[in-house]
Amino acid sequence: MESSVKSTAATTANGKVPLILGNPTFNTVTETISGIVENKPPRIWWGIFSVSVVLAAVGLSMIGYLIWEGTGIWGLNNPVGWGWAIVNFVWWVGIGHAGTLISAILFLLRQRWRTSINRFAEAMTIFAVICALVFPGIHVGRVWMAYYMFPLPNQMGMWPNFRSPLLWDVFAVGTYFIVSLMFWYVGLIPDLATLRDRAKKGIRKYVLAAFSLGWRGANRHWQHYEKAYLLLAGLSTPLVLSVHTVVSFDFAIAQLPGWHTTIFPPYFVAGAIFSGFAMVTTLAIPVRHFFGLKNFITNKHLGNMAMIMLLTSYMVGYAYGCEFFVAWYSGNEYEQFTFINRAFGPYAWAYWIMITCNVAVPQIFWSKKMRTKPIVLFIASILINVGMWFERFVITVTSLSRDFIPANWDYFSPTIFDVGIYVGTIGIFMSLFLIFLRFLPTIAMAEVKFILPQANPHAHDHHKV
Amino acid sequence: MSSIKKKTDQKKYWRSMDQLADTPEFNALLQREFPEGASELKDPVSRRKFLTIMGASIALAGTTSCRRPVEKIVPYVKAPEEIIPGVAKYYATTLPFGLNAYGVLVESHEGRPTKIEGNELHPATMGASNSWLQASILDLYDPDRSKYVRHNGNRSTWKAFAESWGKIAEEYKTNGGEGLAVLSHAWSSPTMARMQRVFLDAFPKARWVTYEPVSDENKIAGVKIATGTPALPVFTLGKAQVILSLDADLLLTEPDNIRHNKGFAQGRRLTSEKDNMNRLYVVEPVFSVTGGMADHRLKVQARQMGAFTAALALELKAQGVNIDVSTLGDYASHNFDKKWLTEVSKDLRRAAGKSLVAAGQRLAPEIHALVFAINAALRNNGTTVSYFSLRDKAVPARAELAELTQNIESGRISTLILLDSNPVFNAPGELNFKQAFEKLTHSIHLGLHANETGAAAEWHINGTHTLETWGDARAGDGTFSIIQPLIAPLFAGKSENELLHFLATGEEKTSHDIMQESWKSLSVFDQSEKNRRRVLHDGLLQDSALAPLRPRLRISALAAALRANPFPTAPASADDFDVIFATSNSLLDGRFANNGWLHELPDPVSKVTWENVALISVAAAKKLGVQNRDVVTVKVAAGEITLPVWLQPGLAENTIALELGYGRSRAGRIGDGVGVDIYPIQSLQYGYFQQGGSITPTGDSAEVANTQDHNSMEDRALIREASLDEYRKNPDFAPEMVQHPPLKSLWEEHKYDKGNQWAMAIDLTTCTGCSACTIACQSENNIPIVGKDQVNRGREMHWMRMDRYFSGDEDNPEMAMQPVACQHCEMAPCEEVCPVAATSHDKEGLNVMTYNRCIGTRYCSNNCPYKVRHFNFLNYTKDTPEIVQMVMNPDVTVRFRGVMEKCTYCLQRINEAKHRAKVENKSLKDGDIVTACQQTCPADAIVFGNMLDPESKVSKVRQQNRDYSIIAELNNRPRTTYQAKIRNFNTALAAEKKEHAEHV
Repeated sequence: MESSVKSTAATTANGKVPLILGNPTFNTVTETISGIVENKPPRIWWGIFSVSVVLAAVGLSMIGYLIWEGTGIWGLNNPVGWGWAIVNFVWWVGIGHAGTLISAILFLLRQRWRTSINRFAEAMTIFAVICALVFPGIHVGRVWMAYYMFPLPNQMGMWPNFRSPLLWDVFAVGTYFIVSLMFWYVGLIPDLATLRDRAKKGIRKYVLAAFSLGWRGANRHWQHYEKAYLLLAGLSTPLVLSVHTVVSFDFAIAQLPGWHTTIFPPYFVAGAIFSGFAMVTTLAIPVRHFFGLKNFITNKHLGNMAMIMLLTSYMVGYAYGCEFFVAWYSGNEYEQFTFINRAFGPYAWAYWIMITCNVAVPQIFWSKKMRTKPIVLFIASILINVGMWFERFVITVTSLSRDFIPANWDYFSPTIFDVGIYVGTIGIFMSLFLIFLRFLPTIAMAEVKFILPQANPHAHDHHKV
Repeated sequence: MSSIKKKTDQKKYWRSMDQLADTPEFNALLQREFPEGASELKDPVSRRKFLTIMGASIALAGTTSCRRPVEKIVPYVKAPEEIIPGVAKYYATTLPFGLNAYGVLVESHEGRPTKIEGNELHPATMGASNSWLQASILDLYDPDRSKYVRHNGNRSTWKAFAESWGKIAEEYKTNGGEGLAVLSHAWSSPTMARMQRVFLDAFPKARWVTYEPVSDENKIAGVKIATGTPALPVFTLGKAQVILSLDADLLLTEPDNIRHNKGFAQGRRLTSEKDNMNRLYVVEPVFSVTGGMADHRLKVQARQMGAFTAALALELKAQGVNIDVSTLGDYASHNFDKKWLTEVSKDLRRAAGKSLVAAGQRLAPEIHALVFAINAALRNNGTTVSYFSLRDKAVPARAELAELTQNIESGRISTLILLDSNPVFNAPGELNFKQAFEKLTHSIHLGLHANETGAAAEWHINGTHTLETWGDARAGDGTFSIIQPLIAPLFAGKSENELLHFLATGEEKTSHDIMQESWKSLSVFDQSEKNRRRVLHDGLLQDSALAPLRPRLRISALAAALRANPFPTAPASADDFDVIFATSNSLLDGRFANNGWLHELPDPVSKVTWENVALISVAAAKKLGVQNRDVVTVKVAAGEITLPVWLQPGLAENTIALELGYGRSRAGRIGDGVGVDIYPIQSLQYGYFQQGGSITPTGDSAEVANTQDHNSMEDRALIREASLDEYRKNPDFAPEMVQHPPLKSLWEEHKYDKGNQWAMAIDLTTCTGCSACTIACQSENNIPIVGKDQVNRGREMHWMRMDRYFSGDEDNPEMAMQPVACQHCEMAPCEEVCPVAATSHDKEGLNVMTYNRCIGTRYCSNNCPYKVRHFNFLNYTKDTPEIVQMVMNPDVTVRFRGVMEKCTYCLQRINEAKHRAKVENKSLKDGDIVTACQQTCPADAIVFGNMLDPESKVSKVRQQNRDYSIIAELNNRPRTTYQAKIRNFNTALAAEKKEHAEHV
C-alpha cells in the first residue's frame, strides 16, 4: 500500500483515491462520454472494426457451410462428440458473467466503483451471450429441427425431455439473456435521453427518442427507475449463479469420468467470474486508452478487477486440486485414470496451458505495481482468457477422448472449421462491441454523476463534527 | 429336416426346374436384358399358371423391382398367393469359393436379394457364415460390374463376339485346339467339370490351366507326396481335443473356416466349471485370429516352420509315437522352445486319435506331407482329419501357370480363354504375365468386372454373379450343392457354363439347361420329381458327401521328398527378412477389392482399414526406428514396394507380413488405388513367403485409418479371463472381479418383469473375433460405409464393433476379442440426457432410437459408457449409387446425416417374428427371433432371447457363473451380458508363461 500511494496522482482529503479522477463537472462527464458517440471515431476503431467484420463474415459463412454439409466438417469423432463448439459455448457464457456480476451483485453490495465499467461490461455480457447462443444452435446434427428443444405444443404430443441438462440450459441461458438485456436497457434509458436531448438531426433524434421512452429526468422517473433497477439487480443476482451452475450440469449430470463431479457448479461459477473479469479488463484497457477515459476507468478500477481475478484464480486453482484429491479419494479407477490422463496424457499440453494461465499468471496480481500497470494487466487478462478456454477444452475433450473402454479411445484434432467458427464468433463479438462503443454511451453517465463529489456536497460534513 | 430356416415356419419356395424348363418364354425372359414381364405370354390361363408357379420366382419378381423404370407389367390383378409384399422369402443357393462351396440362404424382398445367411442343412456353413459370404451380396450390386461385352476395351456385343469366335474356333477345330488354352479359377462343380470335358472333347489338344493366388494347392500336393494320391484334407475340429495349428488360420482365412469355427466352439463351449474344453496350440509367424484363440501360441519364423514340424516329429518319436524319422536327423538340434515341444507332443500323444495337427495353406508341400505322417502316427487320419477325392474339382497349380506363361511367350499358345481369373493382377510378379499376355493373338476374358485382365484382353465378356445364375458345386467334402439364381442377371452377361458351352459347341444354351443336363448324368442322383424339388428347396443333396479316402502313407516316397527338399534351419536375420504374402482378412486375394463393406471392416488383428500395411514386430520396429504409419520400402529379389508399416505385437522376428489383394488398378470406384499391390514382388516358387527380404524406412509417413488406437485394456474388467484351472478353483471369478457398493436408485425403477424382456449374451470363450457379425449387422441394418478419411477421423459406423486387446509381453502377447454393440441398459444413461427424448425405452427393455425425433446433440453418445452410438456426421448415403440402394434392407430405415444410430437388437426381426406369431395365432418361442449377428456367428457365441422365459437359451446362459456385464457398477443394468473367457492352459506351460509375464 505504501509504495502505491506515491504513484497515485491525486488523493482526497481523507487520503482515499477518488473513483473518478480529473475532478470533472457534470457537464464534462456528459461532454466526454457523449462525445465518443457524437464525434467521428478514431482511426483505430475503423481498423479493428474492419478486421472484426471480416472475421465475423468468415465465421458466418463457415456456419453456413456447416449447416449445409453437417457437423462432420469439424474434428469430432466417436468418443469425442462435443468439441470446440461446446467449449466455445461455455467460454462465452462464462465471459458473459462479469457483466451481470458487476451490474447486479456489485450494485447490491454498494460497490460504487462499478459505475465506470458496468455499462460496457453489461454490453459485453449481451454480446458474449449472443456468441454463446450461436453454438448450441449450430452444433446439433439437424439444425432445422433444433426447435424440438423448446416446449412447443405440437401434433405429436411430444414434449422435450425435462430430465436433460441440455434442456435446462435452454431455459437458463435464455432467461439470463433476456434479463441481462432488460437490465442493460433500463440502465441505458437516462443516458439515451441525454443523447436524445443533444441530438440535432432527424433520424438519430427519433430513434433515440423512441428508445428513451420519454425520459425527462423527472423526480417520478428517477423514483421508478431506481426501483426498477434495484428489482432487476435482485432478479439478476441469482441468475449469475444459476446460469453457470446449469451449464456445469451439462457435464456434472453425465456419468463420464471427469464430468461427473459435484464440485462443478461452484467451480464453473468461479471460473466464469474469473474469465468475465479478464474479458472486461481486456476490453477496458484499450477503450480507456483510445477514447480518453482514463479519468473514468482509473487504475483503481483495474486494480480492483485484478484483485477479483486473483481471488477467483484461487477458487479455480482449488477446484483443480480438489478434483485430483477426490479422484484419488473415490477409489474409482476410471476417475483416477481420467485425472492422471489430463495431466500426463496426450492432452497434457492443454492441461498445463490451463494451469499456467489460470493459476500461475494471476499470481503477479499480488503486486500492486503489476496490477495497476495497464499493459501487464492487459497481457495477463488475455492469458487468463486463453487459460479459461483451455479449462473448458480440458474438461470437455480430454474426458471424452479417453473414457471407460480403451478400445474407444481416440484423439480429437480440430479442423479449420472448428477454428474458423470460433474466431468468427470473436469477430461477431468485437463487431458488436465496437458498434456499441460507437452508438451508445460507453460509460453510464447518469450513474457516474451520482458518485462525483458534486452529487453529494455534504458527504464530508460529518467529519467536521 | 423339412425346414430350411428355423426362424420361419411358413412355406418355403424354390424355383421349380422342370416346370420352368418347359417354358421357353421363361428362358427367353431370363436371357433378355430387358424382360418385359409376363405380358407376352400368350394365353391368360398359362399366364396365371405361370404366375402361380412363379409366385416366388426370383427372376420374375426381380423384374418387378429392379427393372422398374422399363417395366411394363401391370400390377397383379389377382395376386399370387405366395407373394406378400413386405414379407421376405428365403432361397437356398450356394456360393463357391475355389475348391470349397458354402451353402447359403438368401433373403429376398419382392425379388430383390438383400441378405445372405448360412444354410443350416449345408455341412460347410451349418447356418452360419463369414464376412466374405455376408459381403458377397454387395458384390452383386457392384455398380462397377462389367455391363457389356468389350472388344479391345470398346463396347461391343455378344453377337460380334460370337461371330469372331466362330472364325477363331474354325481354325482350332481343325488342329484339335493346338495353341488354345483355358485359364480358370479353381472350382468344384460337376457341371463345370462336365463343361470342361465338353470343351476338351471339342478341342482335345487345348490346355486347361487352373490358378489361384491363394489355395489349398500345397495341402493337396503334400498329401500326394505322402501317399501318392492327391486328396484334400478336411478337418473336423469338433472331434479334436488337442489341436496344433501350424500356421493354419483355421478360424478365419483358411477354407472351410465356418465348419472349423463350429467344431472348435463345440469342443470349447462351457456351461459350467465341470465341463471340459479342447486345447489349441498355434505355431505361426504372423498373428492370426486363430493365434489369438490359442491357449498357447508360439511364434516361429515362416522359413522355420518346416524345421519346427520336423522337430515335432522327432519329439513325438522320442515320446514313443510310431513315426518314421529316419530322414529328420538334421533337425534334432534346434532353437525352438523345447519345453513347449515336449508339452505339445505329450498332449497330442495323450489325445491320439482325438488330436489334430493342421498345417496351413502357406506351408510347403513337404511340410504337409510330414504333417500327414504325424497325423497318421497319431491315428488322427480318418477321425479329426479326412481326405477327400478331388472329383469335379479344378485344382490350382502355380507350376501350370508358369508353364502357360512360357508357352505364351514362346508362341505355342496364341489364344487364351480366362474364366473369371485375373492373372494380369494376381500372377506372381516374377512371371511377368502381363508382358506375356500382350503376345497373345486372341484373349477372351469372362468376368464380373472388366478388371486388369479384362481391360487388357481382346474380348471381355461380362459375367454373371453367382446369385444370378444356375449351377452346382461340391463342398470340400464333396456335398453336392445347388446354385440357383435369386435375380435375373442385372447386366445380362454370361455364366462360365454358358460361355464354355458356347465356345465348345458354338451353340448357346442357358445355364439352367446346362445344369439340367448335368443332373441327368449324375449317377448318385435320384431323378424323381420329389427329389429334385427337395434338392432345390434344401440347396443341396443331403448326405451326398463323398466317402473319405483312406490314403496310406508311403514312407519311402515321403523320405525321398524330405531329402530332396530339406527344410531351412537357419533363422531369418536382420538383413535377411522373411516376407510373408498373407491372405487378406478382408479382401482374400483381391477378389473383394471393390467391396466397401470389407474394405471398411477393420482387420481383426491390426484394426487397420482401407489399406494393407507392412506388419513387423515391435522389436524390429525399434531396431529400424520406425513407428506406425511410417513408410518403408520392402525389398525382395523380385522387386520392391513402398507402403506404411504397422507394428504387430507377437509377430515373428525379422518377418514382414504383407497382405494380398490391395493396390488394384481396375477394381472399380471403391477399390482402385487402395493400398499397395504386392503381387509384383511375389516369386513363383515361394508364393506365400520369401526369404532375403529387407526393409528400409523412407522417412515419410502416411495416413493409415485404424479403428483402435489403444491396445491395452488398462487393467479394466472388460474382458474377464481365467484359465480353466483358475475357473474351477473359483467359478464365480467373473462376477466377483468388480466390487462395488450396493447399487441404489434415486427413484423407483421400472421392473421389466412382464412379457418379453430381450437380452443378449456373448460367450467370449468361443468368440474368435472373426468379425462376421459386424458385416452381418451392416448388411441387415443398412449401415453405411464412410470411407478411409472418415474412419481415420474415428467415425466408422459399425453397430457391432470388435474390441481387440493384447495382454502380456509385447513380443509374445495374448490377444482377446470382445464384440460390443448397444448393451440396451435398463437404466440407460443415453436416455436421461437426450433433450428431445429421441432415445427411450420400450416395454420389452429395448433402448430404442427415434430417428425422426433426433436432432443430433450427441449428448447420448457422450454419456454412453460403451460408446456404441454412432453419429451420422455427414450424409454418408448421399452418393450411394441407385444400384447399391437395392442391397438395402427395406425393413430398416436409412439414416440421414445429423442423427444418432445404434444397435437395435434387430428390432425389425423382433417385430417380424411377432407379426408372424400373431398371424399364426401362436405365441413366440425361443429361437423365433434371431438377430443378424447371432445368426451369422460361426461360433454360436451370441445368444438372444427373452430373459424372463426360464427355458430360453439366453436365460440359461445368464444363469451361468461366468456371466457378467461390463461397467455395470454405474447401475445402468445392461441387457447384454458376457460370459468370461476361459483358456485351457497346459499347466506346465502356463507356469512358464506366468513367470515370463511377471518378469516383463
